[in-house]
Amino acid sequence: MTAIVCVDDRGGMLFNRRRQSQDRLLREDLLREAGGRPLWMNGYSLGQFSSPPPNIRCAEDFWEQAGPGELCFAEDRDPGAWADRVEAAVVYRWNRRYPADLYCTLPLEGWTLERREEFAGSSHEKITKEVYRR
Amino acid sequence: MRLIRERYCRALLALAACFLLLAGCGSVERQGGDVSYASVQTIPDYAGEPYVALFDNEPGFTEEDLTRSSYETYSELDDLGRCGAAEACVGLDLMPTEERGSIGSVKPSGWQSVKYDCVDGRYLYNRCHLIGYQLSGENANRENLITGTRYLNIEGMLPFENMVADYVKETENHVLYRVTPHFAEDELVARGVEIEALSVEDGGEGIRFHVYAYNVQPGVVIDYATGESWLEGETAPAETVYVLNTNSKKFHLPDCSGARSIGEANRQEYAGSRQDLLERGYTPCGTCKP
Repeated sequence: MTAIVCVDDRGGMLFNRRRQSQDRLLREDLLREAGGRPLWMNGYSLGQFSSPPPNIRCAEDFWEQAGPGELCFAEDRDPGAWADRVEAAVVYRWNRRYPADLYCTLPLEGWTLERREEFAGSSHEKITKEVYRR
Repeated sequence: MRLIRERYCRALLALAACFLLLAGCGSVERQGGDVSYASVQTIPDYAGEPYVALFDNEPGFTEEDLTRSSYETYSELDDLGRCGAAEACVGLDLMPTEERGSIGSVKPSGWQSVKYDCVDGRYLYNRCHLIGYQLSGENANRENLITGTRYLNIEGMLPFENMVADYVKETENHVLYRVTPHFAEDELVARGVEIEALSVEDGGEGIRFHVYAYNVQPGVVIDYATGESWLEGETAPAETVYVLNTNSKKFHLPDCSGARSIGEANRQEYAGSRQDLLERGYTPCGTCKP
């Protein structure tokens, strides 16, 4: 599977059971990145998509159900917990510091950085997208 | 309102139980505000993290507080010149549209201009906005500025301000936001700040927290009564930085407007004690009152 996460400058993902931040243009980029492939997420993440496209699959245990080559958008779960099943990762960096009590522990050291892109979000000056492959 | 208050009471009871279990805790008195919980609240000692959640992260706002109209309120300074609680309903219309101006004219209670190599940017103290400039556009308001360490400013408060600011920009919703500095007795420097926030339109789904951020600086000991400080392991207060006018024999704080206007030939930076300067015939600037 390909894990997709949004992190702040310290790898934080969540504070008090709430995402650190959100951005409409990031969500659009995420859907483009999926390109019609199955994109798994849970109900919390699905709530961000007002008109979910048909390739979105919603399940609370999405990381259990996702198959090889499919994408998992993890907001309130650390994808490091199922790192052994992760073949690739898309990391969106807010380039901001937010409070955090859940961090992404996906061990990206030694993985190949295939792409790095920067774009302006709808409410963030610069979002960095990094695509890694194990 | 009932839901919020009931949840708040439950959190209070849970916290009270925790207090009974915690040993060696500091106790600080809540300043200002009209919330219904205990006036004296025990905060866990600083343990390496810049902030700690209070009341299970449940803010103390009531249903009467919920409004979709932006506002900001600040407490009058007390007899010691200290700030009280500052509160805002942050909306897009409250946020600044221009770069922040200078705030160097404000000298919050306990202010000292002192440098350490171990501090990011070297200056121990920042003028910390209670309601961050990026949220309210409030600039050199002395009722909104406290003497805070660099660590409090950057590690303790800024992340929460960033989260609220970016949420408001993205959703165009409002966020109730309250910052209460905690002073112990007659001390001039706050021990920390209590920060509460609740997003209005979505009932806290986007933003909901209640934390305490510590006004500490790792590696530095602070005398909160005066603002004096020294490196851990040392006993003497650190040297204070002044700017001297060797011609007029005045000395200034580095960010004083009078210091900025000194010609290069007469300007000298000095690190040492105020008493030493007085003994050398220098007099303090009447504007910045170093």
